Amino acid sequence: MFKLIKYEFIKKYRLITLILITAVAFNIFLIFRGAEGSLLFLIFSPIVLYILYLVDIIKMYGDDLNKKTGYMIFMTPNSGYKIITSKLLTAVLEGLGLLFIYFLFFIANSLYIISSLGGYIGLSHVINEINSFFSGNIGYQFNIVHLFLFLLTAMVVLIAFITTVYTAITIRKSLFSEVKYGGLLSFIIFVFINWTISWLSDRFFDFLSITTYNNNFEFLIDTGRFLPDTFYMFLLPIVAFALIQIMVLAAFSGYLLEKKINL
Amino acid sequence: MLIIKDLSKKYYNKTALRKVTLNFEPGKIYGLLGPNGSGKTTLMKVVAGLHKQNSGEVLINNMELSHKTKAYVSYMPTENFLYDSFKVRDLLKFYKDMYDDFRKDYAEELLCNIDINLNYKIANLSSGQVGKVKSVLALSRDADIYMLDEPLNGVDILSRDTILDIIIRSYNENKIIIISTHLVGEIEKILDSVIFLKDGSVELLGEVEELRQSHQLSVENLYKEVYKDV
Repeated sequence: MFKLIKYEFIKKYRLITLILITAVAFNIFLIFRGAEGSLLFLIFSPIVLYILYLVDIIKMYGDDLNKKTGYMIFMTPNSGYKIITSKLLTAVLEGLGLLFIYFLFFIANSLYIISSLGGYIGLSHVINEINSFFSGNIGYQFNIVHLFLFLLTAMVVLIAFITTVYTAITIRKSLFSEVKYGGLLSFIIFVFINWTISWLSDRFFDFLSITTYNNNFEFLIDTGRFLPDTFYMFLLPIVAFALIQIMVLAAFSGYLLEKKINL
Repeated sequence: MLIIKDLSKKYYNKTALRKVTLNFEPGKIYGLLGPNGSGKTTLMKVVAGLHKQNSGEVLINNMELSHKTKAYVSYMPTENFLYDSFKVRDLLKFYKDMYDDFRKDYAEELLCNIDINLNYKIANLSSGQVGKVKSVLALSRDADIYMLDEPLNGVDILSRDTILDIIIRSYNENKIIIISTHLVGEIEKILDSVIFLKDGSVELLGEVEELRQSHQLSVENLYKEVYKDV
């Protein structure tokens, strides 16, 4: 598994390096326009990075199934389950890496904005802020655990979506590989899978609504604000559902890769 | 070691293999012969686990096809399947990491003999050089079964003998070597047995010497005879 992930990153490190160099260059260019440029970068760079990330991780799997270079992986004695798991773990690691890089951009640009607006930021002040951030409280009764849970939820939901896309690609190259209009059928399957997941998700949250989840939801509607405790109640079920979705779809795709694939 | 029973494979508008039954024995070099579209590549891809058959059975060392049987099969596809962004050196590391039986030192020696520098990038190689690298990668594994799909395609006349030499060096009594080609004249001298495929079916098969004697023709001329109406 580790070796498969290693070669995924070896294949894409040039592209990632290029994107990061471009991002740094663009950030420097915008910084020359003052605090507004820096703010502009902080707002738009995550959107661009997110789109590039999404394209990259879908292409990573699609290329292996649609291009001849996929033989490199599929001729090796690795099971279909192992291959799809390695792709998903690569996607997670890449996502975390990009998140960390954005975090660095965020700190650098924030420091620049504050200082350019006349604020004084000494090194000791920055260290104190970071210490305070990681020690817990980040304001409004939210702490670092809440932030972590929010990021985890975002990541797991994204990976669940990616798994759905991977499943549709796998179906195209297995069950529908020798069928006319297989691409169209796979897209229909993709829509159907998403519809089914949405339906199951509704049933899942309907089931939860008979518990305290419902009370917390009403509190949110009534007051329009989250409380730290309700934050757990909202996000944990989403994470649980997404994890189940990932496991079921990855297992199904792994089975198809193992038993039905036509490259 | 490699048994194929009633193997059939259909694409949506074509039947590529029709109930093919073959038995490959160790210690032999087989020629899988036939014009384009006769089913050679499909047969190899099914055995390599890249395609799934519609019906029939393939047994490798008495095991049904799975990711485990890929450890016994070293397949060289006819297409350029190598990562463009890799250097030759990276490919050797990849094979070493992925296949327990890959002999990296042997591969380096072979590449040195055919003047392929380890620092060459795949994207910059000619089709002939890619052919040589693919052959070296496949034959540097200590696998039970080697399957080479058109190994002489795109390779210049001088280099063809080099590739044939590498194939012969890989031969021993425990190995099965299957070479698909339509360049029969070039390869005839190293073959022990031949299988003629036509429209997805086995048209003719046998030991090279026996076929030569019974038909009073070289394999190349026999090929022309079998496929004269194609």
